[in-house]
Amino acid sequence: MSTSWIRACGIDDIDDGEAFRLDTVPPVSVFRSGDEFFCLDDTCTHEDYSLADSWVEDCTVECPLHQAKFCLRTGAVLAQPATRPLATHEIKVEGTDIYVRIDREREEHREEEHREGAHHGAA
Amino acid sequence: MFDIADLVQPDKGLIDPSIYTDPEIYQAELANVFARSWLFLAHDSQLPKKGSFLQTYMAEDPVLVVRQRDGSVKAFLNQCRHRGMRICRADEGVAKAFTCSYHGWAYNIAGELVNVPMEDRAYHNEIDKSQWGPRQVPRIHNYKGFYFGTWDDEAPSFEEYLGDMAWYFDAMADRYDDGLELVPGATKWVIDANWKFAAEQFASDMYHVPISHSSGFVALFDDPEIRALAAGALAAPGRQFSGNGHGSGFGLRPDLVPDPAGPDFDAFLIERREEIYRRLGEQRALAVYGHNTVFPNFSWLATNNTMRVWHPRGPGRIEVWSWAYLPKNAPEEAKRASRLNTVRTFSPAGVFETDDGENWTEVQQVLRGHIARQTTFNAQMGLGHEQRDLDGMPGRTAGDMFTEMAGRGMYQRWADLMSGLSWQEIAELDKRRREQEEAKQS
Ligand code: FES
Ligand code: FES
Ligand SMILES: [Fe+2]
Repeated sequence: MSTSWIRACGIDDIDDGEAFRLDTVPPVSVFRSGDEFFCLDDTCTHEDYSLADSWVEDCTVECPLHQAKFCLRTGAVLAQPATRPLATHEIKVEGTDIYVRIDREREEHREEEHREGAHHGAA
Repeated sequence: MFDIADLVQPDKGLIDPSIYTDPEIYQAELANVFARSWLFLAHDSQLPKKGSFLQTYMAEDPVLVVRQRDGSVKAFLNQCRHRGMRICRADEGVAKAFTCSYHGWAYNIAGELVNVPMEDRAYHNEIDKSQWGPRQVPRIHNYKGFYFGTWDDEAPSFEEYLGDMAWYFDAMADRYDDGLELVPGATKWVIDANWKFAAEQFASDMYHVPISHSSGFVALFDDPEIRALAAGALAAPGRQFSGNGHGSGFGLRPDLVPDPAGPDFDAFLIERREEIYRRLGEQRALAVYGHNTVFPNFSWLATNNTMRVWHPRGPGRIEVWSWAYLPKNAPEEAKRASRLNTVRTFSPAGVFETDDGENWTEVQQVLRGHIARQTTFNAQMGLGHEQRDLDGMPGRTAGDMFTEMAGRGMYQRWADLMSGLSWQEIAELDKRRREQEEAKQS
């Protein structure tokens, strides 16, 4: 599992409100909202759709298929029908280049925390 | 059953009015006329960016017209392949994808099925999504910003289909360096009349103007001088064109101004005079500014900047979709004057529109009569006085705007298609007809 930084794209490759998809497995996308960039899993957690081709606005992404909405900062679900959050990835901008680091182990750990949190909340 | 040759006889100028009422003929029209012809879909200005879409109809078939990522335009049936729901229910907008509101099958902007809900659980991952996109309109042609589509692989190319009508079409489409734009949003209304009354009138009928619209002229123009101008325009010589079922008719105007859109539009025309003459030639710029139909159901009136499709809705009903068209980048006052001219004259409550609709719907009412339906109509005006290439105006032309030549031409094309002739056979027939006309003229 790679945990090194990889160059995703240049900042000019993405217009405001757009996203750039990387063909990792599973795919991730770099989203641009205003002048901020975010890296998250590309596939909507509801059904199966590439969020790179979705509506990006005010640091959220809305899936055009059934209008699930996610926070680009945290990956949290902001609107149904999705219930599971999107995995977020580290991102940094150096000059005009965008780098991302995809660490699936870190994510699994976070997902566990999320599940436990949900469990505790319900108890 | 019906025999087309008994119903319309363009060479004699005879029309059996059952072609406006018979449900069986109507069904045959959907198959033989509309599904085989080039139909207007959209104008460039209606699809400004990638994902821009609009809903329209090809006759009764709902289609979605969508701007693709590469700038091209695709159109597909607005019908979900699961159980037939309308895929997109918005009139127009910008989309990333289209999700059916019944069970949620989702299509991308190219019309490919990209998601079916519960594909694993409900379909056991056994559905081949590539096979279940909506029906694509197989042929789309962009003619100077006007997109036309046809379902028919055998239909001639759009340019061939347009034929000599291109010269008259261009007088509208090619008038300004910056092109045209449609005022956003179609105005839509339903009238109880057969679509052919409207299509034929816009192809061929200047004859009704001094009578049907006389009260409208009085209401619109207080100034007797302007009224005299309108009367003068009708008294002046005019021409009509007919070819491939299309038609165009107009008076020979002495000048670009005054335009019915009024002084603010006149000022714009005077400023652009050189440009318009350079693009069209002075003769065409002045003359070809009247009524027009591209067969079967796309029409416009240059003098009122109105453009419309007569969507058929059964033998006795039309859904009119109309747009005001404007010169792009014209000054705001000129655009405003032009829009107001359209609204006043040709819109649901327009002074002239309502005159026309009243005639068509009344004719349709009369045709409820059993005897009325069997009583032949006269379409003989100007019969035998057709010429060719009159004054350098290409195609079959008539030396007056008061003739029904283009109406007969429209019914000829209609009858050829309705008889089930192939496009190849129609082309050969037309060639022979043309040779006969040319021989007669020389
Ligand atoms: S697939 Fe994204 S909301 Fe359903
Ligand atoms: S009819 Fe469209 S999903 Fe069922
Ligand atoms: Fe009229």
